[in-house]
Amino acid sequence: MIYIVSGLPRSGTSLAMQMLGAGGLPVLTDELRASDTNNPRGYYEWEKIKQLPQDPACIAEAEGKAVKVISTLLMSLPGGHEYRVLFMIRPLEEVVASQAAMISNLGTRGAALPAATMMAALKAHRNQVIAWLRSRPEIPVLQLDYHSLLADPDARAAEIATFFGPALDTNAMARQVDPALHRQRVQQSL
Amino acid sequence: MPQALAQKVLLIGWDAADWKIATPLMDQGLMPTLDDFVDHGVMGNLATLRPVLSPMLWNSIATGMRADKHGIHGFTEPDTQTGGIRPVSSTSRKVKAIWNILTQRGYKTHVLGWFAGHPAEPVNGISVSDLYPYATQPLDKPWPLPPGAVHPEKMRDTFADLRMHPAELTEAAILPWIPRAAEIDQEKDKGLASFAKILAENLCIHNAATWILQNQPWDFVAVYYNGIDHFCHGFMHFHPPRMEGVPEDKFEIYKDVVNNAYRFHDMMLHTLLDLAGPETTVILCSDHGFHSDHLRPRGIPREPAGPAVQHRQFGIIAMRGEHLKQDERIYGATLLDITPTILTLFGLPVGEDMDGRVLVQAFEEPPSIERIPSWEQVPGECGMHPADLRMDPAAAQAVLQQFVALGYIQKPNENQEKAVATAVREANYNLARVYLDSRRPKEALPLLEDLAKNSDEARFRQHLAQCYYMLGERAEAKRVLEDLIANPPKPPEPEKPQTDGAALTPEDQNVEEQSQPAGPPAQVAEAPAGESIEQEPPGAAASPRPWADWLMGVIHFEEGDTEEALACLLRAEQADPRLPNLHLRIGETYLRRRQLDDAERAFRRALDIDGDSPEAHLGLAQVNLRKRHNEDAAEEALLAVGLQHFLPLGHYALGVALARLGHPHRATLAFETSVSMLPGLVNAHRWLAALESRPGGDLEKAASHRKLAADLLKRRREQLAGIAAN
Repeated sequence: MIYIVSGLPRSGTSLAMQMLGAGGLPVLTDELRASDTNNPRGYYEWEKIKQLPQDPACIAEAEGKAVKVISTLLMSLPGGHEYRVLFMIRPLEEVVASQAAMISNLGTRGAALPAATMMAALKAHRNQVIAWLRSRPEIPVLQLDYHSLLADPDARAAEIATFFGPALDTNAMARQVDPALHRQRVQQSL
Repeated sequence: MPQALAQKVLLIGWDAADWKIATPLMDQGLMPTLDDFVDHGVMGNLATLRPVLSPMLWNSIATGMRADKHGIHGFTEPDTQTGGIRPVSSTSRKVKAIWNILTQRGYKTHVLGWFAGHPAEPVNGISVSDLYPYATQPLDKPWPLPPGAVHPEKMRDTFADLRMHPAELTEAAILPWIPRAAEIDQEKDKGLASFAKILAENLCIHNAATWILQNQPWDFVAVYYNGIDHFCHGFMHFHPPRMEGVPEDKFEIYKDVVNNAYRFHDMMLHTLLDLAGPETTVILCSDHGFHSDHLRPRGIPREPAGPAVQHRQFGIIAMRGEHLKQDERIYGATLLDITPTILTLFGLPVGEDMDGRVLVQAFEEPPSIERIPSWEQVPGECGMHPADLRMDPAAAQAVLQQFVALGYIQKPNENQEKAVATAVREANYNLARVYLDSRRPKEALPLLEDLAKNSDEARFRQHLAQCYYMLGERAEAKRVLEDLIANPPKPPEPEKPQTDGAALTPEDQNVEEQSQPAGPPAQVAEAPAGESIEQEPPGAAASPRPWADWLMGVIHFEEGDTEEALACLLRAEQADPRLPNLHLRIGETYLRRRQLDDAERAFRRALDIDGDSPEAHLGLAQVNLRKRHNEDAAEEALLAVGLQHFLPLGHYALGVALARLGHPHRATLAFETSVSMLPGLVNAHRWLAALESRPGGDLEKAASHRKLAADLLKRRREQLAGIAAN
């Protein structure tokens, strides 16, 4: 079994990986990408996964472990393995804002699009990935709402543990959730 | 609901099949199955659409719609997974294909190998994608099917086992095609490898199709073979007669490959027909033809999808089945007509949003045709991918760029970035050409203006000039042309046809990319087609000057300045005497100037280039009418309408000649045909009024035609007055 954490970049995937690690599930990470202001507790990434479209066989190294596979790479998962996918859902306004902040911190250049257009593109992409997952009934998927996780870490940790199967330490998982790190919130209208 | 006129329908696609090659082989008894097929059915030319690019065309065949509606705009699209490009996919098609409509209506439906068919759609039957047959690894390595190549997933192993690897082809399979294969130095000449690849891929599709016909219940099967197109791109320059520059030894080795490709397809057709059974209605079609004679281009433009210059405007259609005519020709068919015709065969309504029409003339009795506004509005499971799986290429590119900036996916290499930019640009260019081809220049204009602003490539400026011309903005068209003449881009070097038999098709380029996902992406897109029906720029010539002169001449002609028109056209002739349609325009200009001998010479030169040009025969008919050589005029007009039935001026010229020759009844028929095609043809109404006024004629009809002619003239005068006032 390969335990996959996925979602759009900046939708809480690192937090989910952190929880799984704390809960006792081996995580596949090379820690090449060090923690920074964008992700103070680390990214929990495995650089090699970026090669998945070109080298689908590399996923075999994740057997029995949790691995972060960003949304766009999911559709390159090869057959021949059992997968379970935890797919993080965060409001797109927050995702776009968080991505913009991270791009600014990194000093890189993202798509030169207005936020609304970027949001529409990300929405289409996320829908596309979710539709693809639906077309693969052999891959069980748990969609987890990021806000729900922040609001009730214990319940969500239990939900994740039930979904992934192995006996995970749900208390330790829940303790990883730190609402203080939730910085790009949707502005509530008064 | 209308009655179903077919129990089962088998749709067979032969990419690039052309009667110009098939007919002589049939006459020699070398394609006996096709010969028998057309003896017991109907056959005709199938007019293609522009741009002449197979992914767009096969999806027009499958939907009855032009590419602006169906959404397949080229060979490739951005791939958010790799950061590069991928072959255009089934998730990019925006509308239902015929197999989706039939799935929706509960028919058992199978589709194999269709262009832009990956990932395989969840139809009510089996779907095998166009990426199914490609061998991505050597024979001694695992050769897994790409994910999504077969629907349903449970059939995956069955179909994986039906494939054939090129390396599995033995001498026994190769020698009948290339008897002197042993003489080929395979280190230097990749022709044999190219040949084996094409043959194996088509065998994969054929094995899958025959397995379905033998083992599955079915109501509709659509199967697409790319073999003829790929064999022609690879080996047409070896086809007899030997082209200049082709070495004699290579010619001797490969000269029979194209003919043998047709014979091979004939054998596959035999098997398909045998398995389908006599109760099945079978439609065989191609998306375009392929130049096989002196019109073969001397070089391939060095631009995206340059090999498309080898495509010819007419493909083939042949149909056989209950309720269809036997041993008859049909005329005026376009590839948009296939889907409406299949719907009618199943007794289903045709969507009013479809651009094609039912091929009524193929039926023994005119079929009852029901219409609905659109199949897109009919709810229910139709076997398409969920709408969410479909994504606009521009949005995909933006997501990709964003994720790269965030460091979550690998930055595409320079080649990949270039390929993505090219894919998006070519999609816009192709869409603009769809608008021009369907006479919607207003919609093409913003796309072309943007393309011309960002690139000095001649083809963008050529189409922009053409667009202005179609909009009636002659001054703007002239400005673009003058700029093109004054500031020509660096001329691209034409590629010589490869003489090792390994020339890549645009489709091959995609395959290469697919088979080497880690490598640099192929620079794929497309090119202007190589021939012209109307004012389409005729391809990337070494210099855009002759074409600019040609269009400038056309504009002057329309403005009534025949002297300046002639000067431009003759200048173009001097630079590139093989420019398509050039001699026709010269002939028309001389005709208007009443220089009849010069006009005749020009039309004959057009026929020297293309003996099957209906416009050239029409020009000669008009010259002969002016000279009062009425028998010659009738003969030329008959040739013209024989080549292209939908040619109102051809029928008109025939009518005039027949009337003068004393055949009023036949003349009446010809005039009636012309006005049925072009109701505003004033002189035809006048002739009809005159003919019906003769003793024994229909005076009521005469009065009606007289009135129509008067009304048309009045309206025209009013329009002219309006233009003058403005």
